[in-house]
Amino acid sequence: MFDLFIDFSVTLTGFSTFRLQGTGMAAPYFETVQKIIGPATLDELLLQYQAIVATANGDAATLDNLLRNTIFNDPKFGPVTRNIIKLWFVGTWYQLPKDWWGAYGTGEQGDSFVVSPAAYTEGLLWPTVGVTPAGAKAPGYDSWVNAPVFS
Amino acid sequence: MPKYSHVCRCQSDHARFAEKIYDVVIVGSGVSGAIIAKELSSQGKSVLILEAGPENIYTMNGYNKYIETFYGNINKDNNAPYPFNANAQSPSSLDVDKLTPGVPDTKGYFVQLGTLPLESTYTRVLGGTTLHWQATCLRMLPEDFKMQTLFGQGRDWPYDYETLNPYYNIAERELGVAADVDDQRYFDITFDPNYVFPMERIPVSYLDKMVAKHVDGMTITLESGEARSLLVRSIPQARNGVPNPNYDGGKGYVPVGALGTNQEEMGERCQGNGNCVPICPVQAKYDARKTLYKALQTGNTEIISQAVAHKIDIDPDSQRVTRIHYKSYQDPALPEYTEGTVQGRVFVLAANPIENAKLMLASGLNSSSDMVGRNLMDHPYIHAWGLMPEISGTMRGPQGTSGIEEIRSGQFRSQHAGFRIDIHNEGWGWATGSPTTDLLDLVDNQQQYGTDLRNGLVNNVSRQLLLAFMVEQLPDPNNRITIDPSYTDQIGNYRPVITYSLSDYSLAGMAYGRKLSKEIFAQIGVEDHTYYDPSSFGYLIYNGQEMIARGGNHFSGTHIMGSSSADSVVDRNQRSWDHDNLYLVGSGSLPSIATSNTTLTLAAMCYMSIEQILRDLQTA
Ligand SMILES: Cc1cc2nc3c(=O)[nH]c(=O)nc-3n(C[C@H](O)[C@H](O)[C@H](O)COP(=O)(O)OP(=O)(O)OC[C@H]3O[C@@H](n4cnc5c(N)ncnc54)[C@H](O)[C@@H]3O)c2cc1C
Ligand code: SF4
Repeated sequence: MFDLFIDFSVTLTGFSTFRLQGTGMAAPYFETVQKIIGPATLDELLLQYQAIVATANGDAATLDNLLRNTIFNDPKFGPVTRNIIKLWFVGTWYQLPKDWWGAYGTGEQGDSFVVSPAAYTEGLLWPTVGVTPAGAKAPGYDSWVNAPVFS
Repeated sequence: MPKYSHVCRCQSDHARFAEKIYDVVIVGSGVSGAIIAKELSSQGKSVLILEAGPENIYTMNGYNKYIETFYGNINKDNNAPYPFNANAQSPSSLDVDKLTPGVPDTKGYFVQLGTLPLESTYTRVLGGTTLHWQATCLRMLPEDFKMQTLFGQGRDWPYDYETLNPYYNIAERELGVAADVDDQRYFDITFDPNYVFPMERIPVSYLDKMVAKHVDGMTITLESGEARSLLVRSIPQARNGVPNPNYDGGKGYVPVGALGTNQEEMGERCQGNGNCVPICPVQAKYDARKTLYKALQTGNTEIISQAVAHKIDIDPDSQRVTRIHYKSYQDPALPEYTEGTVQGRVFVLAANPIENAKLMLASGLNSSSDMVGRNLMDHPYIHAWGLMPEISGTMRGPQGTSGIEEIRSGQFRSQHAGFRIDIHNEGWGWATGSPTTDLLDLVDNQQQYGTDLRNGLVNNVSRQLLLAFMVEQLPDPNNRITIDPSYTDQIGNYRPVITYSLSDYSLAGMAYGRKLSKEIFAQIGVEDHTYYDPSSFGYLIYNGQEMIARGGNHFSGTHIMGSSSADSVVDRNQRSWDHDNLYLVGSGSLPSIATSNTTLTLAAMCYMSIEQILRDLQTA
């Protein structure tokens, strides 16, 4: 399931497996999602993803269509999927909507939280917009004077 | 490295502290207290500092803990790196809400009573608020010292710009200001012949240059009819850059790097971390611990940390201060404390404008003018934001590297407030919570993912422009901090009760700022995204113009300086008119706040006070 989580994350973020693994956050994020929504729900989501990838069979438009119809617009999978994207980009787990929790959650619904200090600094948002995280990975003196480079 | 024993929070030493009569007792280890401690202790005077917050000076570890706390904190507000301290609380912008007139808002540390909540913050830790300041270091304009004479508004200072000029020079050395004299010579600001700043100006950002391309030379007509040609100008800042070889008659300047490490290794150059507020991870930005460290190295300065001053004793005959009482706690969470007292020849309150006034009021010292706590000023800010026509590399470099200064001066100041404009390298963050809010919008509302999401982020973030208008405020005795026995903290110290509002003078300046922002945006071709949410705590309408007033973190005026004891608290040297061995230092003394960030000026004023303290000690 962990490998499937990485594949799903590649689709969601547009970053390669190599880049995602390079953050060192793949395992902590997988565990975070698993812990909060429960392994069963996460497995169900990942298997759904696996199924639509198989159906799309390499066709990007079909995959996009299926992703939107069966995952993003799905009341159970949509909010979780959006949360996984946010995890990768800013390292924060956002509290799921109350309705979602009422329908599918078990136990205490926690608050929003930053997964760890490293989750903040490893956020993909920063390299996406051609910057380093505010307060970490110092780019160096003078680095701000020329046009930005995006990755 | 100075001995650990010079910073003490051990409960057993209180008897020793109580016995000794120090030359100078200072309340607060922020930049004002640190400067006074360093200068006096290097002249052989014995100095004791009472500091309400925790110690953090000796190990990289102590400082780095703040950085980890910041990374891990879901709220990246001004106080995000600094753990909550129930025994020496600090105001937090997270507690600020819309006020209902007549109903005190008691959620946060401040009890807010006015028509407008005061959003500004400070930090109670060793080194004080400079740990999270932005380090913009503008001098005041000569006309700012003569507000009443020239514009019929506010108050005049007891002296002029020329008097403060030599002290500005010393302050710029201590804080380590990087700037270019030629950039800073405007509106009659003068420098000594051949003066240069300690370090060369911090390079301006790519974003600044994109703005300058369109704005430099743009002519505008102010509402007073005065004409201005705008210029994007570099900001002087207390941030380490390239030392100026011509400094000090060719002696040069050595930047002060990170404490608790080999200084060559870290902090001797700004690394473009873009996190000056709330904490610089490499300590390239000046903070007062750098000055405190030098004070401790003299061997004549002692600091008691986790010691909250709460009462000043006055001799009824001489009206001189005899001692200060403090509460010393071990655990910031628990309400247990030990009482202590300290004695000195001279006492200096350097706890910031709000805490200085609070300590005076808590001791029944309203001053003969009844001005203690009154004339509370800040710089209200108004923001305007939009998207540049092309990718501008927003969110890189120190948070501010350039600004527009042309509306700081002019005859219009007899009608409405002047202001300066900052170009914010960190984009819309201050106004909207960008870039996180951009991500949330694209993901939650626009259902974007993958490459489209990434392109959307680049397009939305890297073109952001935020102009921040820092507007002047006049001293008004009704804007004030008071105390009320119903509002105390867990160890029985008063919480500040704040009554605050903006007069038409500031509001008209803010409204003009918004109007000017539209002209500037049109000139550049910026797509205006400014939106003033009516549910925001600072939402206002003035003359039909909507706006949101934000706090400027520049508390001032609460122990106002003047020429007469009848209408001011301190004299030109920041010495209390009523108690001649008591000094109240910091921006609380400012008779006008004008359009400069306050710290460079308050530092310069401290150097003036030091000369008088030395004279006092000689005669005592
Ligand atoms: C977000 C932010 C950005 C800023 N940016 C700028 C800028 O760019 N340029 C600029 O000029 N200014 C800026 N400022 C303002 C600047 O930080 C202050 O002007 C400056 O730090 C004031 O110095 P001070 O020593 O008077 O007070 P502080 O730095 O507040 O220090 C006061 C000290 O006294 C201690 N203390 C308080 N009460 C007690 C007590 N009862 N007993 C014992 N100790 C006590 C506190 O713990 C603290 O250490 C900014 C402020 C903020 C919050
Ligand atoms: S830009 Fe970064 S390195 Fe430079 S002063 Fe600010 S936080 Fe420090």
